[in-house]
Amino acid sequence: MLPPTCDALAARLDNPQQNGLAVSALLSGQLLFAALVVGSVYVIIALGLNLVFGTMRLLDAAHGDVVMLGAYTSFWLFTLVGMPPLLSMLIAGGLCAGLGVAVYRGLFRRLLADTRLPRRLEGNSLLVFFGISIILQNFAALCFDTTPRAYLYLDGVIRVGNLAMTENRLAELATAAILCVIIFLFLRFHIYGLAIKALIQNRQAAAVVGVNIERIQLLSFAIGFGLAGIAGSLISMTEQITPFMGFPFTIAAFVTVILGGLGNLIRGMAAGMFLGFVEIYGVALTSSSLDSVLIYGVFIVVLYLQSQDFLGGRQKS
Amino acid sequence: MIPPIPTRDALIFVGVIAVAALLPKLGNEYLVAVALSFAMWVALAQSWTVLCGMTGYGSFGHAAFYGIGAYVQALAWGIVSPWLSVPLAGIASCLFALVVGYPALKVRGPYFVMLSFGLAEFMKYSIIGIEARLGQFSRLIIGAPSPNDLFLVMLGLAVAATLITFVVAGSRFGYGLRAIREDEQAAETVGIPVARYKLIAFGLSTFIPGMVGAVMAMRLSYFEPSQAFDPLISFNIVLMAMIGGSDDARGPLLGALFFVGLSELLWARAPQVYMIVLGALLIIFVLFAPQGLAKLLFGKTRPRAS
Repeated sequence: MLPPTCDALAARLDNPQQNGLAVSALLSGQLLFAALVVGSVYVIIALGLNLVFGTMRLLDAAHGDVVMLGAYTSFWLFTLVGMPPLLSMLIAGGLCAGLGVAVYRGLFRRLLADTRLPRRLEGNSLLVFFGISIILQNFAALCFDTTPRAYLYLDGVIRVGNLAMTENRLAELATAAILCVIIFLFLRFHIYGLAIKALIQNRQAAAVVGVNIERIQLLSFAIGFGLAGIAGSLISMTEQITPFMGFPFTIAAFVTVILGGLGNLIRGMAAGMFLGFVEIYGVALTSSSLDSVLIYGVFIVVLYLQSQDFLGGRQKS
Repeated sequence: MIPPIPTRDALIFVGVIAVAALLPKLGNEYLVAVALSFAMWVALAQSWTVLCGMTGYGSFGHAAFYGIGAYVQALAWGIVSPWLSVPLAGIASCLFALVVGYPALKVRGPYFVMLSFGLAEFMKYSIIGIEARLGQFSRLIIGAPSPNDLFLVMLGLAVAATLITFVVAGSRFGYGLRAIREDEQAAETVGIPVARYKLIAFGLSTFIPGMVGAVMAMRLSYFEPSQAFDPLISFNIVLMAMIGGSDDARGPLLGALFFVGLSELLWARAPQVYMIVLGALLIIFVLFAPQGLAKLLFGKTRPRAS
């Protein structure tokens, strides 16, 4: 999941005692930049999850696999017709949004409409999404085989002082920032954005004041999946693509959403960034082989601590 | 404590075990391999049901206990006899469950599902890290007992797991666990020691998976952490329970039978198609047949939480 330059850096930092550079490297802008890039992608992915999880309490365990589909879309469009990912991300977003609509219409409208089992809804949704996740992964493996794929795009290096940034990472960061602003404005000012927020805050009250629940749920699915697809396009510029790449992103997105809270965008952004920093600096300080241990460690702690009041508060309501 | 056993079911049960125990005499290796895999999944799915089918605390991380068992076996190989290390593996995974379960079982519903999954992955990567630090990337187990002997041990584990589920399902303890599933607060109010029951069920449901892991480590004759802690093991167990349905001993038997049959048909020929089918089955059973095969075949069964 780590960008390769960062891996190299981490390897250099592996032994801080022997390496006089370690402390200065830690304080330099290089790690900061890497953390910002990783964090910004987490923010976008988690925003999408937040919409699906927040408005409907559906535990989208397939979220990272939608990211994977977005990444493959951009990869193929770049490799076959030479379309730049900054353009093809719109197509990836659209395709994934379409998938979201199909999944909602085909599977979840039923599940959500069944008011007899609200208590089992979350558990069932987790299982259904897990099934979708397995289908998507293996479908991709069947169609595109499991070879890791990558392409070179905007791979020039821009130097500012002693900070080296690749253009594609800068583009990734900038696009993510612009997307964040758009989503922020949408949820703040657009009537549908406000309706989504209303649904996140209180479903019954939203229905009472005339929010068309059905339509907003569909919209949340479309935007949530679409954002994941766009994030996949961004990731494809800098990282290798495999059918099974999605899973770590699902975990990262859940950590971010649980840490940031439902429907709280500012906290969500902070949480995504926090996770990016934990990952990059944690690896730099320990070892790149501990990447997954770190992520799952944070996942466990966050889930345990937050789910206490998170869940306690909700079960009573 | 032991619920009344219908004579017909008991006879079938004993008959199946007797036939299974004679399988190695036929000298057909393929048959024994399939039977071993069936016994393994029965043992795992039955153990899972004690905790998850009855209390509704669905564990998506039972691979952790299988993996710990396998790891203990790999570490103990050549030091103590398998007759000692297999039970030791069960005890180790049970102890781990008790330590982890005490805080983890306070987390409810789907959050427990995610937590159990996270814990299993955390264990997997930790052990990969430890083994890498030790310079071990996989451990060979040389001179393991013959597949036929291992099959008989596995058969014993499957029978034990089935009996445990059967006894628990009909006991006062089992009804307490089901009460927790239906409404934990109400269960506590009527005097069920909720925390203690959950922890005991967790311990019970991890003892046999640890031993299964140990036996399988010998069967495969090596230990490799990312394989022993494969999340697919957890997923398969959940899938079997969903397919089987019911919260007594019948569901896991049906689920395992269906699952092993399907995997023999498809796994080797088209692994990806096989996985897609599994994913689709999970969705279909959750959405359209939430009470599983047990309901479809036997009609009445108790409602089961997921």
